[in-house]
Amino acid sequence: MRLPPFQYLAPRSTEEALEIMSRYKGKVRIIAGGTDIMNLLKHRLLTPPYVMSLKGVADLAGMKKTRGALVIAAGTTLRNIAGAPEVRSSFAAVAQSAGLVAAPPIQNIATIGGNLLQGTRCLFYNQSELVRGASLPCLKQGGKVCAAVKGSKRCFSVYQGDMAPSLIAFNASAVLKRSGGSRTVPVGTLFSGHGTRPFSLGDDEILTEIIIPLPRGIYGSSYQKLRLRSGLEYPLISSSAFVGVSKKGVIDRARIVVGAAGPLPLVVEEAAASLIGRKPDDADIEGAAGHALRIARPVDNLALPGPYRKKMTKVFAKRAIETALAGLAVGA
Amino acid sequence: MAKMKKQNVTLQVNGEAYDILTYPNRTLLEVLREDLHFTGAKESCGQGACGSCTVLLDGLPVRSCLLLAAEAEGRAITTIEGLASAGRPHPVQEAFVDHHAIQCGFCASGMILTAKALLDQTPDPTEIEIRHALSGNICRCTGYAKIVEAVKAAAAKEK
Repeated sequence: MRLPPFQYLAPRSTEEALEIMSRYKGKVRIIAGGTDIMNLLKHRLLTPPYVMSLKGVADLAGMKKTRGALVIAAGTTLRNIAGAPEVRSSFAAVAQSAGLVAAPPIQNIATIGGNLLQGTRCLFYNQSELVRGASLPCLKQGGKVCAAVKGSKRCFSVYQGDMAPSLIAFNASAVLKRSGGSRTVPVGTLFSGHGTRPFSLGDDEILTEIIIPLPRGIYGSSYQKLRLRSGLEYPLISSSAFVGVSKKGVIDRARIVVGAAGPLPLVVEEAAASLIGRKPDDADIEGAAGHALRIARPVDNLALPGPYRKKMTKVFAKRAIETALAGLAVGA
Repeated sequence: MAKMKKQNVTLQVNGEAYDILTYPNRTLLEVLREDLHFTGAKESCGQGACGSCTVLLDGLPVRSCLLLAAEAEGRAITTIEGLASAGRPHPVQEAFVDHHAIQCGFCASGMILTAKALLDQTPDPTEIEIRHALSGNICRCTGYAKIVEAVKAAAAKEK
């Protein structure tokens, strides 16, 4: 499969990259690792005039511990995150997410920023031109009606990034830079909730860093992913759980996130509320996971049917909470 | 948009430098196969799902079909052609032959390179580690059992 024609830009510094973003505003697409966007280009789902590779920007890779947080540059590979002792010890779910993306050769080159800003997917959208040509264009292709939910005027494409649920569970922030400015926002606010345009970034902005605050005291976390085989697949449902306990052994913090159930990761507030104030041994995990089932609305547009994926949200949320509680420890 | 212009790219393949003039929208796989005639890397799915285009980039297996040739500049690229030394196959290649881990052969270069990268980092892997490392490579003939056996044998031999 050949790529469409484009002008290639390879900046050597973040400043140069930002300058390119503002000069070609809206006309340039970024290749970080490239493992996802290359397919969108090959399938002609994207045909940008300019393509900018960030592989040559050295300051976009690496991690550093600051006081009270871990700062991960957006171009850090998933391999380096999954294998980093400081991530595995303090942010288990984040390391698990990175280690469960696709397969090791993809993790060797895919980046945390690329994974976080991976476009929404749908069986009716992520197809070759030939397959797509057999039916009318869907909403995400600029058409007038959804192909997955017949007659719908809303796009049901699914956000299938593995990193976001765990980053949101840990209350991580994203640093977005533009020429002459920057802003830091919670990772959850990067998502618009619209399948056709799933992110709320400006055309001239680049995600440069992810900041994960180090939780205090005793806590545990876990990421659980449903897929048909244990390699090479996007999540069909996923769940991340973060649970903290007080010195008295009572759950005092919890965040449960469900992924791959719609156009954005869902924070299950009721699940967290039902866990807080209980001791881990007598927490109603089944009941908490049930709240995930109620808010997830997957439809028939991925490799498993919507109703089955809906049932699995509870199963995977439950597993995530159980595993997080089983791993309770003082953060490093 | 201005017309796409060819650009100079220097690639380090199997220890040798190659200067090529090519369009920027060409993948490393296309340049390796079509310009430099390293046809050991195969195009199968063309979208990163199968692993038949695997090459090593600075010692780690990557999909050459998902990497622009220009992005591989300055990195050490190893293809299956670069594994043999002094006319002798690499121990992983020998083990694949000895254990009948190659049938049609289309996945073999990717499997062997991925296995070599694993053994370079983890000389004595468990079966689970071998299966995990190879989980990004698809073989439609062997059923994988012979491949896993071959990697185990190569590890044992190098000990």
